[in-house]
Amino acid sequence: MHHKVVVVGGNRIPFAKAGGPYAQASSHDMLTATLDGLVARTGLAGERIGEVAGGAVLKHPNDFNLTREAVLSSALAPETPACDLQQACATGLETTMYLANKIALGQLESGIAAGVDSASDAPIAVSDPLRRILLEASRARTAKQRFAAFARIRPRHLAPLAPRVAEPRTGLSMGEHQAVTTTRWGITREEQDGLAAASHHRLAAAWDRGFFDDLVTPYLRVAKDAILRPDTSVERLAALKPAFGGPDGTMTAGNSTALSDGAAAVLLATEEWAAAHHLTPWARVVDAEVAAVDHPAGADLLLAPVGATGRLLARQGLTVDDIDLFEIHEAFASTVLATLAAWRDEDYCRGLGLDGAIGEIDRARLNVTGSSLAVGHPFAATGARIVPTLAKLLHERGPGSRGLISVCAAGGQGVVAILEAV
Amino acid sequence: MSLDVEVLDALPPMGVAFARALVPSRPGEARIPAHAVRVEGVRQDLDRLAAYSRVCGYTLRDAVPATWIHVLTFPLHVSLLGDRRSSVRLVGAVHASNAMTMHRAVTSAEPLTLEVRAEGLRPHTRGAMLDLVGRAQVDGETVWEGVSTYLVAGMRVPGEPSGVAREPYSPGSPLALWRLAPDLGRRYRAVSQDPNPIHTSRVAAKAFGFARPIIHGMWTHARAMAALEGRVGPAHTAEVAFVKPVLLPATVGFGATPAPGGFDCAVTTRDGLKPHLLMSVRSAS
Repeated sequence: MHHKVVVVGGNRIPFAKAGGPYAQASSHDMLTATLDGLVARTGLAGERIGEVAGGAVLKHPNDFNLTREAVLSSALAPETPACDLQQACATGLETTMYLANKIALGQLESGIAAGVDSASDAPIAVSDPLRRILLEASRARTAKQRFAAFARIRPRHLAPLAPRVAEPRTGLSMGEHQAVTTTRWGITREEQDGLAAASHHRLAAAWDRGFFDDLVTPYLRVAKDAILRPDTSVERLAALKPAFGGPDGTMTAGNSTALSDGAAAVLLATEEWAAAHHLTPWARVVDAEVAAVDHPAGADLLLAPVGATGRLLARQGLTVDDIDLFEIHEAFASTVLATLAAWRDEDYCRGLGLDGAIGEIDRARLNVTGSSLAVGHPFAATGARIVPTLAKLLHERGPGSRGLISVCAAGGQGVVAILEAV
Repeated sequence: MSLDVEVLDALPPMGVAFARALVPSRPGEARIPAHAVRVEGVRQDLDRLAAYSRVCGYTLRDAVPATWIHVLTFPLHVSLLGDRRSSVRLVGAVHASNAMTMHRAVTSAEPLTLEVRAEGLRPHTRGAMLDLVGRAQVDGETVWEGVSTYLVAGMRVPGEPSGVAREPYSPGSPLALWRLAPDLGRRYRAVSQDPNPIHTSRVAAKAFGFARPIIHGMWTHARAMAALEGRVGPAHTAEVAFVKPVLLPATVGFGATPAPGGFDCAVTTRDGLKPHLLMSVRSAS
């Protein structure tokens, strides 16, 4: 990379459960509020930023230029260009890398990477047969042709279709896929509930010490992550019924992420731009890799980041012992636990083409301010939540501290990145 | 000037006062109430704010639009003009202009004290003019002020009408076209709770000399402000002249020209030749 790319700030709105306090807010509303909060905190009102890259997983057809429209609604200069990207649950990390790469190449001096999702305001589609009939009717040249098209509409065509979080090639939901992985790796209910409880307790502690004061802007009377349950415990979580994996399943609503609403953004820049704008760089973007697995042939849907992690560390000449903090996105508690098990597994790692096991890590260095189980997971926003959180944590630890982010995504994909405090 | 203030327990329901306000003014001498009406501790309904924002084109933010606070004061307009001490009625009174000032960003979480009084009754060549002066306060601090000027045709006020300067307008090509659907009046009624049937009923519109229902002037004002979102500071003043009503459905033009400290805007016919609404917005320095 030619230019050093630094994370100089971030902002998000508190995340909340779908159908909760943001039920009436659109992705446009939440993304605009997030951008404006970042602009207000960093003093960028009226500023032309090099580029804003954002995205949403659940997207209305009218929102094809969601990010650009949010920029126009925001206090940024209207001459700030923007584009939409989508990499499922890793969107916020993919937008970060897209802009970091452009900054590294000298194409940009500054950029805002973002992600937003509203499970409350999800688009609802018409059935495919009805859609085809409507399109045919719109192409009809005569009233008779139009009538003939409409005459084929049947009551069963009229049921609206809400988006499903299901894999097109397997028909399994993400939870059902993860239930297979959970069983395959022998992840216990106790481990999952323990990880979920720790996520809530660590997030609560981070809020209590004011860690999020310069990372979160209140929105619609919500000042703090609304899914967070500081008083939850392993005992309470143990009482929940299985949600995935059948009656003997170990995955519950407590150790799986909730459908969420929220938005997050990261401010990236060259060191020179940061200095000119009196902003303190927190961490530099070192490297990243995107990866995929063959889940239609049975590979674990959410373990694609494992291969990327091994290759990325090797490319940088690092091992897990050189990493101070780990951020593994908690799609499900068992995703994190299966990822850690895979990192330790010599045969599995060799099977991915790595030289050997990635290694064992100290859990005290993992998700130290909690993660998606406690914060919530508005799909596209999660990566853009994690990047500034980790950058600030590394900055607190001092120059040279390294952190690794691993985010799994639908389609058997994932993105992994390394940051280093400056 | 000290005024009597009648403090109401809550925003008046759209009941008796509304019914009275909806009876058109009878020609005669114009009288307005000398008292102000006030409601304290008005909590803002987030769902209604969200619906209002969708209809008017605003992004749903923590800071609320100035026009939203006007909508919150509207029941007090109705209450005041529905009072027996008023010979001027809401229906048949034409909204001629607005001057609205936001002194600082107001969030949807802040409870408001709202107050409206009628003043400035004055002769006009076509009848009488008056101002409904609204104020919103948070903990005694005035955060919003709005002056709505109405023309009541056929009513008399002693004195000579002073000449009213026509807003200057030079035709130009619109920068944007807005397509106003036939049901826009109904949709805006649902969020504004302004039941004036002139906006929703063809029959009522005809009774007042319009071929079709006309969109609320406050919608057009709000839509024009929404077009400037992100460009105007949280503290600002907007002055609006309602030049000519927009009959629904319609396609109208919009244009904004930068001016020192803000913008001069016009909502026009789609060819840009004639204005419907003229607005100047200035950010507080």
